[in-house]
Amino acid sequence: MSQQRPALWAAEDEIEEDFQGVDMNLAIGNYGQNGMYDDVQSRIDEAALLAVQQQMAQQAAFAQIPDTVKRFIVHFHQAVLNNNLEEITVAYESGWTRLTEKFYAKTEWPEAEVIAPLVNDDPIFLILYRELYYRHVYSRLQPNIDDRFHSYENSCELFNYLLNSEGPVPLDLPEQWLWDIIDEFIYQFQSYCVWRSRVKNKSDEELAMLQEAAQASVNIENLIIINFSLDLCRLVDQALLSLVWSAYSVLNVLYSLIQKSKINEYIAAQQQGKTEEELAEIVGEYGSRPLYRMLGYFSIIGLLRVHTMLGDFTLALKVMEGVELNQKTPFTRVTACHVATYYYVGFCYIMLQRYPDAIRTFVSVLNFILRMRQYHTRSYQYDQINKTADRMYALFAICNALSPSRVDDNILNVVKERYGEQSAKMTRGEEGIPAFEELFIYACPKFISANPPPYEDPSLLPLHLNLTEPAQRHLSLFLSSVRSQLSVPTLRSFLKLYTSLDAKKLAGFVDADEEEMVQGMMAMKMGCRSVVGGGVGGQVGRGEGTLQAESGKGLLEGTLVSTSDLDFVIAENMVHIVESTVGRRYAGWFIRNTEHAQRVLDSVKNSRLPTPPQKAAPPGPAAPAEAAAKVGQKVTWGGVKVA
Amino acid sequence: MASATAAWVCPPTRPEQIENLVSGVDRYNPNNVGILEDYLYHQIRSEEYDCLANLAILKLYQFNPDLYNPDVVINILLKALTSSPFPDFNLCVSLLDDRPPNPNLDEPDPLPELLSTLTALNTLLHQCRFPAFWSLYYSDDLQTLRDNYTVECVGFEDSVRDIVIRAVKATFTRIGSKRLGSYLSLDGGDLVSYIDNLGWQLDSSTAVIAVPPNPDNQISSTVIQENIKLPQLTKIIAHETLTV
Repeated sequence: MSQQRPALWAAEDEIEEDFQGVDMNLAIGNYGQNGMYDDVQSRIDEAALLAVQQQMAQQAAFAQIPDTVKRFIVHFHQAVLNNNLEEITVAYESGWTRLTEKFYAKTEWPEAEVIAPLVNDDPIFLILYRELYYRHVYSRLQPNIDDRFHSYENSCELFNYLLNSEGPVPLDLPEQWLWDIIDEFIYQFQSYCVWRSRVKNKSDEELAMLQEAAQASVNIENLIIINFSLDLCRLVDQALLSLVWSAYSVLNVLYSLIQKSKINEYIAAQQQGKTEEELAEIVGEYGSRPLYRMLGYFSIIGLLRVHTMLGDFTLALKVMEGVELNQKTPFTRVTACHVATYYYVGFCYIMLQRYPDAIRTFVSVLNFILRMRQYHTRSYQYDQINKTADRMYALFAICNALSPSRVDDNILNVVKERYGEQSAKMTRGEEGIPAFEELFIYACPKFISANPPPYEDPSLLPLHLNLTEPAQRHLSLFLSSVRSQLSVPTLRSFLKLYTSLDAKKLAGFVDADEEEMVQGMMAMKMGCRSVVGGGVGGQVGRGEGTLQAESGKGLLEGTLVSTSDLDFVIAENMVHIVESTVGRRYAGWFIRNTEHAQRVLDSVKNSRLPTPPQKAAPPGPAAPAEAAAKVGQKVTWGGVKVA
Repeated sequence: MASATAAWVCPPTRPEQIENLVSGVDRYNPNNVGILEDYLYHQIRSEEYDCLANLAILKLYQFNPDLYNPDVVINILLKALTSSPFPDFNLCVSLLDDRPPNPNLDEPDPLPELLSTLTALNTLLHQCRFPAFWSLYYSDDLQTLRDNYTVECVGFEDSVRDIVIRAVKATFTRIGSKRLGSYLSLDGGDLVSYIDNLGWQLDSSTAVIAVPPNPDNQISSTVIQENIKLPQLTKIIAHETLTV
């Protein structure tokens, strides 16, 4: 029975007439019959009247909820109560999405208070329900200021429950959901920061609330900060509620989850090859529960993202110190997390001007996405993953323009297809700057300012009307580093034609002053050297590569290598040029075709032999074998052409 | 090959207390800003450099605008300038949130004006336009920067010369002494003794300096052959074991 239920409501047709064994009256309890009406008769004070009105409104709202939805919520609640991961997953991944499409594409889900009777006012389930409720508001509708404040409160309650209950909580949630919780928490923070930084078009009510929040935060922040390093978890408490969406409170939550779950210790111990018992010993009662372990891991990725949004690219990579980026750890099971990780790491590398590392990062995950595509088209996150992938192709195009290198052909072909025009422009010196701008703004993460405009002092607000957006600031920093390499493509094209060349002659070619050109060549030479981490000079594996050569070394580590195939040196006024060539690569071709041949052979072996003609006396083992060989050969050659 | 970033991620001169601050959650505690600021001034006096510790200061300023001290920021940026061609300067500027000037301050904030100057200097260094760097640096407009800031920063000019030497070493095998002099902003006896200190040879008849060979100025054309790694073959091998 329990196996069937999710399938039933998840199926296209619902069974309206049947509550599937759930007694709605029982589930609702004695709603509306708790003696309230007797009181109403005797003394109607304002509060009671309000309460009654509210209750009546809730009843009306309750009555409007379609039965399918009521059933869904009851089942969902049961699944959570039973810690039945499988059913929770179905409810979470398909049930919710399906009912959203059907009933709530343009409106909110029923409020938690309205559905509370269905779940016996279970506070934990209501927190989880609100988590989904607000996420839906943010993704489908326009959150108003109340939504923003309340979603923050709900997140605080959730984390408070997880971190400050007595001992680890007995809750199991699907990994995907856990990732979504962290991801959404940071998204809402970012969304709030962006909204808050726009002083224009705020209503009086909004201004008043923001002012109040700003004043409260001044009072409480000190308290928080003093305690910050003492006991992180205790802070995810009432005090935090007044600090709506401050950067401190968000970091506090993430660091608390990391500390509580001992995730860094877990990863280190795992890399040392400790046994399961030893691991459990090391990480303690919290860390040995999957819920906390995954939340801890996702919080590390969350920190990577928050620091990137705040423009702290070194710290972003530093928090990833312990994490080994490859596709074999169990943490990669949540594809959205995996893709986000590589996106932010790659972007940080760009801002650190480590383009080869950025390229390696993007190639690795883009190949992963290409290969996984067939499995993920069904996922409700497919769109999001595709969008991030498209951004990474754009970032890849930027990196490849700045540090041309031999890279994965698959990826390069997609880039040519999508960003061919911009790629061509980016090699044309000053003319190419708009192309860099366009791709950067399209593909960069959302940046935020750490601090709100001074809502507590309205006299200062007008000064904040025309501030540059954080993204523009990062763009101009990025362009300043691009500008120092602008002359490279032109110089390169001339250098490629010679083995030695007089500097004066070269200056004549590029129509520049000789001295300036020599300085440009120095800049070019310096630009061709880059810090590269991990497998230095190693070929970019087809997505299998680890981003770290040795474990225990952070993503910031690296060695200085030359990244250009064209090298030169100046002896006084003579430029000597050499070019490195890459021998033809055969391996990939042979590997692809061997794999293909294996598949063909398999299918040939598995297909039925044609029924031998009746009259032929001996079945003639030669004939089918020959046929098989023929088919095999034909298909193999066909495969070669395709490859 | 030794890691090029080890000293950057964790300089050997970094005290343990600072290391704990930089690597732990204590870095967010505004009460520690004084310790980090003292460490910055120590770096300035003793020609040390610790980018990550300085970024930690800027991080605290980012979260706690009340702590903001323009002199500290300018000193951090000066230190970051001298690590060109690494992007430390930009990494520091990334952390400076855009803020309109606060009209309530007693003194005007010197940073906004100096920031554009410092950015211009950084751009020139990054583009290896060393003669232009020196002429801007010694211009009258930058008098305040020199008198109030770089004078305190021990060895600032020499660390800019280190950048020049890094670029020249990589690019040249021989270089005219006039040209090198213009890059270093040195001439006559100063230049000769600077070159002597480096251990480079000056041919006095041609006035050409030989740059000692190093991996960057020894160029050779190579043919890169591919290496097949085992993971590339996993599918094929796995298939073989399955069928056998």
